[in-house]
Amino acid sequence: MEESEATLIRRCQQGDEEAFGVIVRRYAGAAQGAACLLLSSYDDALDASQEAFVRAWRHIRRFDAGAPFYPWYATILRNVCVSKMRRSGRRRTAQLADSHADPSPDSDPVLLAERNERRDRIWRAIRELSPQHREVIVMSHFQGLSYKQMAAALGIPIGTVMSRLHNARQALKKGLAGEEL
Amino acid sequence: MRCDEFKPMLTGYLDGELTPERSAELEAHLAACEACRRELAELTGLKEELAMMKFKEPPDVELERYWRSVYNRLERGLGWILLSVGAIIVLCYGAFQLIEEMIKDPRVAVLLKVGVVALVFGAVILFVSLLRERLAVRKVDKYSKEVER
Repeated sequence: MEESEATLIRRCQQGDEEAFGVIVRRYAGAAQGAACLLLSSYDDALDASQEAFVRAWRHIRRFDAGAPFYPWYATILRNVCVSKMRRSGRRRTAQLADSHADPSPDSDPVLLAERNERRDRIWRAIRELSPQHREVIVMSHFQGLSYKQMAAALGIPIGTVMSRLHNARQALKKGLAGEEL
Repeated sequence: MRCDEFKPMLTGYLDGELTPERSAELEAHLAACEACRRELAELTGLKEELAMMKFKEPPDVELERYWRSVYNRLERGLGWILLSVGAIIVLCYGAFQLIEEMIKDPRVAVLLKVGVVALVFGAVILFVSLLRERLAVRKVDKYSKEVER
């Protein structure tokens, strides 16, 4: 029988790495997909999602075992991705001084379960959004975070989450309309 | 309220995040505003499309590899902590012994002894200062905090 998440978390809090393994396997796909949308690079996404699991393990004793794991993990993942973007932004600036090479975002796999032309277009349109818009779209639609959870993760008021998400959806609509032309 | 002020509320309404009062206010506006009704329909369509997009579940072999990689990082993390703590203890102990011997040795010039003591104090002050700065930044940097549970 499948153990409940709360039981697994309690086992993790007692240092049971196998229980953590079950949680990692459960959310690995969603974590890699979300990170891939945020970072636009499969290799970076793999690294960031794993790093976020390591950080979650380190702080698991402070986590409320009755709460769902994924929204908490999603916030850690977002922080890891932001740090990674900052570092790669600095690296890219340094690289641009030497060459104009910019890796094609289409070289990375699309981590969608069922693909069709329309969904691939949406995937591309999300990746074309600004980082700020992209992260609220990913948090809301792909990670299922509530406005309250997003506000806590981003350090902004709930009203700002709502208007940012609205603007992000408008930008996404515009991006999709542009792609269809 | 003007149409522009209602527009961000469409998103909150769609996500069920508005208070009952705000929802009622928006519904009253929607009943009278064709443009906002159209926009709500478009946003609903987009949300439904996004809801259909699910990430693929990696095969078992890949999941196993993924977990092994996370596990190795967990293990190495502990290794690095122990290595760092051990190195700091050994270095501090060695430095303390060396400095004590040198200070007690009458053959070493007083000026050199003063220089070494100043060096040690300088290093300690810099270390404490950097540590304090890091801790202060950690408290205010929103990206360093993990999450509110």
